[in-house]
Amino acid sequence: MSDYDGPILEIENLHISFFTQAGEIPAVMDFSCTVMPGEAMGLVGESGCGKSTVALGVMQDLGKNGRIVGGTIKFKGRDLGQMSERELRDLRGSEIAMIYQEPMASLNPAMKIGRQLMEVPMIHQNMGKQDAYNLALETVTSVKLPDPARILNSYPHQLSGGQQQRIVIAMALMSKPALLILDEPTTALDVTVEAGIVELVKELGETTGTSMLFISHNLGLVLETCDRICVMYSGEAVETGSIEEVFDHMRHPYTQGLFRSIPLPGADKNSRPLVAIPGNFPLPNERPPGCNFGPRCEYFVAGRCDAGDIRMDMLPDRDRHGTRCLRWDEIDWDAELAASTHSEKTEPGDVVISVDDLKKYYEVNASALFGGGAKKVVKANETLSFEAREAETLAIVGESGCGKSTLAKVLMGLETATDGNVRFGNQDIAQVEIENRDVETVASIQMVFQNPFDTLNPSHSIGSQIMRVLEKFKVGANQKEREQKMLELLDLVKLPRAFAKRKPRQLSGGQKQRIGIARAFAGDAKVVVADEPVSALDVSVQAAVTDLLMEIQRERRTTMLFISHDLSIVRYLSDRVMVMYLGHVVELGATDQVFAPPYHPYTEALLSAVPIADTSVQKKHIVLEGDIPSAMNPPSGCPFQTRCLRKDKVPGGLCDSEVPPMRTLADGHQIKCHLPQEELDAMEPVITLAEVAAE
Amino acid sequence: MEPLGWGGIFAAMFVQFIPVWIGMIIVFVLSYMYRGRLSLYGKLFNTIIGQIGLGLVLFWVFTALFADWIILFDPLEQVAGLKNKKPGVPHPDLEGMYYLLGGDNLGRDVFSRMVAGSQTVLAIAPFATLFAFMVGITLGLPAGFLGGRMDTVLSFLANLVLAFPVILLFYLLVTPEIRVTGIPTVLAAFLFLFPIIFAWVLFYSRYETRPDVMYPLLAGTVIIGFWAYSGLAFNADPLGVWSMDPNRLNIFVSVVFVNSPTVFRIVRGITMDIKTRDYVAAGQTRGEGPFYIMLWEILPNARGPLIVDFCLRIGYTTILLGTLGFFGLGVSPESADWGSTINEGRKLLSIYPHPALPPALALMSLVLGLNLLADALREQSLKD
Repeated sequence: MSDYDGPILEIENLHISFFTQAGEIPAVMDFSCTVMPGEAMGLVGESGCGKSTVALGVMQDLGKNGRIVGGTIKFKGRDLGQMSERELRDLRGSEIAMIYQEPMASLNPAMKIGRQLMEVPMIHQNMGKQDAYNLALETVTSVKLPDPARILNSYPHQLSGGQQQRIVIAMALMSKPALLILDEPTTALDVTVEAGIVELVKELGETTGTSMLFISHNLGLVLETCDRICVMYSGEAVETGSIEEVFDHMRHPYTQGLFRSIPLPGADKNSRPLVAIPGNFPLPNERPPGCNFGPRCEYFVAGRCDAGDIRMDMLPDRDRHGTRCLRWDEIDWDAELAASTHSEKTEPGDVVISVDDLKKYYEVNASALFGGGAKKVVKANETLSFEAREAETLAIVGESGCGKSTLAKVLMGLETATDGNVRFGNQDIAQVEIENRDVETVASIQMVFQNPFDTLNPSHSIGSQIMRVLEKFKVGANQKEREQKMLELLDLVKLPRAFAKRKPRQLSGGQKQRIGIARAFAGDAKVVVADEPVSALDVSVQAAVTDLLMEIQRERRTTMLFISHDLSIVRYLSDRVMVMYLGHVVELGATDQVFAPPYHPYTEALLSAVPIADTSVQKKHIVLEGDIPSAMNPPSGCPFQTRCLRKDKVPGGLCDSEVPPMRTLADGHQIKCHLPQEELDAMEPVITLAEVAAE
Repeated sequence: MEPLGWGGIFAAMFVQFIPVWIGMIIVFVLSYMYRGRLSLYGKLFNTIIGQIGLGLVLFWVFTALFADWIILFDPLEQVAGLKNKKPGVPHPDLEGMYYLLGGDNLGRDVFSRMVAGSQTVLAIAPFATLFAFMVGITLGLPAGFLGGRMDTVLSFLANLVLAFPVILLFYLLVTPEIRVTGIPTVLAAFLFLFPIIFAWVLFYSRYETRPDVMYPLLAGTVIIGFWAYSGLAFNADPLGVWSMDPNRLNIFVSVVFVNSPTVFRIVRGITMDIKTRDYVAAGQTRGEGPFYIMLWEILPNARGPLIVDFCLRIGYTTILLGTLGFFGLGVSPESADWGSTINEGRKLLSIYPHPALPPALALMSLVLGLNLLADALREQSLKD
């Protein structure tokens, strides 16, 4: 086997179908790709496009409903479809290893890490216990976990999410596989933790020469990790080629649409808005004839694109660059975006909501069973001060545990503040619970929730849910007026009026989120808290929903508090940015100020960590170590000091002992950092746009 | 006259059950035609298990409904010459009439008693379970949603009831001495209040903002509720429409009383799960009160597991009723209910198995049907 030097993985014309009560549902059609030794292949597409099915097909693990109905998958020249169960078992976990999205689900919670790792070589190579332990120790060291011996002796739940994922990677590497399949390995992790894992995966690829199949929905991530890319749409590979080819010379309208709908540096909500791909992803049993992308494609030609099956066409003079488009040589790919709407920048008005020294502490019983035990205080929000003006978008950025959701809860009245004021209009609402707020205040501060699948009650029709909001907000005098108003709200969020009769399950994620927006604006809200409203949506839908939100906000001059961890979208749509870390505001300023040096060291790391799907972007490489500390047990002094890379630049160990004061750098730009002024001044920008060389 | 052979017996029974077959065929054909629009119920027709379960349950439902047409003799009528006679024995006086499944030790028709027995079960089991659900839901929702001290107290009480041996509890509740103290009536007065409270809160929380709809609904709830309440709990309906035999009331109350703690715990658990969803938070952020959220946001989404449990619980109650009858608790001495008939047949089981078997098989098939139905519903509700 060792002298084999052909492609590691060859997939040819693969067809996979699932057989359900409704009949055969093709999940993957005519899929071909080749992964050479040492090559990293990125598989990109929206949810439901079949990318994970391909991975499961390679593992020959499609469940009892799935079956490969055509084509071959060859691993090192051997057809996986012809192998017996026994041969496959020997292969899985030793020659081919897979890493899943949810690390906790891949580890056995009842077994120590060491034993789980040692199992791999003990089963596959009959290795002795001591040798296996040594190998485990070595592998854990290679995935850069601190104190490997201690980690081997701990249970999965004692590790953080990032550490768990590193263990899963270590487990996959234990048997030195020839092919590593990574299925969204970082989606469940925070951005700065993700950056560490991505760096690790990249390094491993270089040092061990393992081939990789990297499945992701994030183009930026694929750019950073892979050599080649394959874009999938509705069960088909639509474009494949090297990263540079596909990113800079895309030859499929879907790929182009994807790139236009993600906020890259340079996009701006007023001068260069995002262009969403119109329409919706077709359901697997409702695929159109001919080109699957046809109905959503602006280059669609009736009679040609829908005439028959379209084959993958290899581009001449290019390195294995193929596209499944009939018209790739007719379309002017470099044409500027036509009719991109320019809109005037809205001028912010008066201060609508102002937060002063807000604190929110939770008391947690250290032991839940015996109430008398010591109480611990979780400081979810610590001295937050900011204000937001009419028609302004204030982005609140931070990773999990930074207190952004607690802040939202306090603003909404679901929790009351421990201390401090929230001034809204002429009243202080920090201590007023939602039951005690008057209807007008409740209707004025509304929220758009994160998870589209959870935001609507699955049992009630869309119309009745909106009507209920109107009823609660005392809009309209009777049912008839309210019904009229409800239909107008559907118009507002650009959904057909017929949707009023539908149940939430008949709507796609993006449509549900639109209903969520309609609901938030039902009572003429003055402040809308949007909690990651698009992060759970597919890329092509994100742009449309974001733009809708912006448009309504602009028309109604609403104040928006946009909570997000995604800096790309924040840069695109916000006027001002507030960066939070462990309950503290570490930086606050206008978008331009926050995205340009001087930065708070955390902002700097965050900017560097976010993958950007643009080959012309040069990023400074900053990878934070470790994980976010628990809010139950925050570090002393500066909350960021445990991970800060510039801590040594502050004299006198100030970071360990004192929480830095908020200091004003420029007009409206504040940071919470001890770094001396000259250090701040010397900072370089993290992201630079390289001059695009003339072709 | 010659006794009927087994072929003749089955043919005669098939003929007797004709109203049932017609009813079943109509239900199946209609349900199958409109299964696309019947949500979860319609999906039952995707599985064999579901269809078998539904078939068995429908069979007994229609048998209970048409029992008066199906039975051949009065279930209490004794014919001296037919004591312990084998199935298919002809009636000595009536030409062309047979004891299809033989006679019991008092010379009563086993077939007619089995058919009549289905009425007792189906008159109590579904309704008692429904009341148990009313109680369990009305208490379980606030316990799960609001938590705190009330949850602690209610959960403790539920555990207390559950920890008490069920049969002993029944013995206590249906013995005449206890009945004299009026405890069953007090219990009934307490338990039967819950449906009224439930309906009141349901309508009030939903239509608080629309008085024009709310007042008629609340008035209706109160009038119909207390009218039925007076009849069912105290047997004092002025119009005489609602009434319940004191024996039956005893059983009914006992069954509701022992079933509701389990329902309470199920509802409480589901509520604690669902209350973390975003749509609950969305309800709170628009200022909904806790009762609207419990009854209109959480309860509709708990219906899947509750429907499944409802089916299982009817089956469980059916067995419970059989057990009660077997011990002769809360039933009149000659009652044709399955438990009593099994008990009577048990005494001569080794010599004459035929009087005990039909009611036992009937009980088994109904419970089996309900369990299959529950299984199929669970499976289908997980799909989608």
